[in-house]
Amino acid sequence: MKLFSQSFHYDDNWTIVALAFFLRYPNPYASHVLSCDVISREFTDAGALRTTRLILKRGNLPAWFPAGIMPRQESWVVEESEVDPHGRVVRCVTRNLDHVKSLQVIESTELKEAQDGKSTFQHTDARFVSRFGWGLTKRIEQFGAAKFKANVERSRQGISLVLRSLRELREARM
Amino acid sequence: STTAMSSSLTDACTPLKTKYDSCFNAWFEGYLEPVVSATSDEQRKALQKAKAEEYERNCGAMWTDYRDCVQRAVADKGLTQLLEDARKENPMQNPPSPPTKP
Repeated sequence: MKLFSQSFHYDDNWTIVALAFFLRYPNPYASHVLSCDVISREFTDAGALRTTRLILKRGNLPAWFPAGIMPRQESWVVEESEVDPHGRVVRCVTRNLDHVKSLQVIESTELKEAQDGKSTFQHTDARFVSRFGWGLTKRIEQFGAAKFKANVERSRQGISLVLRSLRELREARM
Repeated sequence: STTAMSSSLTDACTPLKTKYDSCFNAWFEGYLEPVVSATSDEQRKALQKAKAEEYERNCGAMWTDYRDCVQRAVADKGLTQLLEDARKENPMQNPPSPPTKP
């Protein structure tokens, strides 16, 4: 197993970052997202909004990856999120549904109001577990973690771009 | 292209998805601001109740059409069981360890 952890800070308030998070697909930094569907959505008793989405992502396998292991270089990902407007926090967990023996990636993200009450803090944790064997397990986990680091940065750029459009839209309305 | 990225898992559901997503996005923007700035628990609960009803009124029928379409597509692709198994584990009830403070 390999672990990965990263934090970001957005200058914008939590409300607008939470909105941008939900609106982040499509954006030019997420061209690997082929489809995104809401599977279920409900309010919890505490008044939080819970959403499950099913996402199809295109992956890029390294050249050394054994041919024929993944017939399609695509992966289904399930994303469960909870928006708690009272606690000012969005929690989100994603994991791949298929190819789990080759590589299971479980990603947890939290978007929380920062202590200054004006900006937003993002923390992402990811776990990589391969049960591939053939002496490749460690290499696959390391590849997954390295690629993930780049993906988290791309995801942040995507959210920042959506944030910019939201700000411009609000200024235009005023 | 932008349209391809906002697609549903099957072309047949994409128009229903687009319609529902627009409804939800508009509602969600109007939901967060007032609920976040509520000054008392009582006010927040009343607002949340009113907003949940507004969501049902505005987007409820679109959601049912879209959901039925997606459920059929998920079944056609043989994903129903995979999805149910993953959701049974329900990661939201076992949230990750809280992150360190900024």
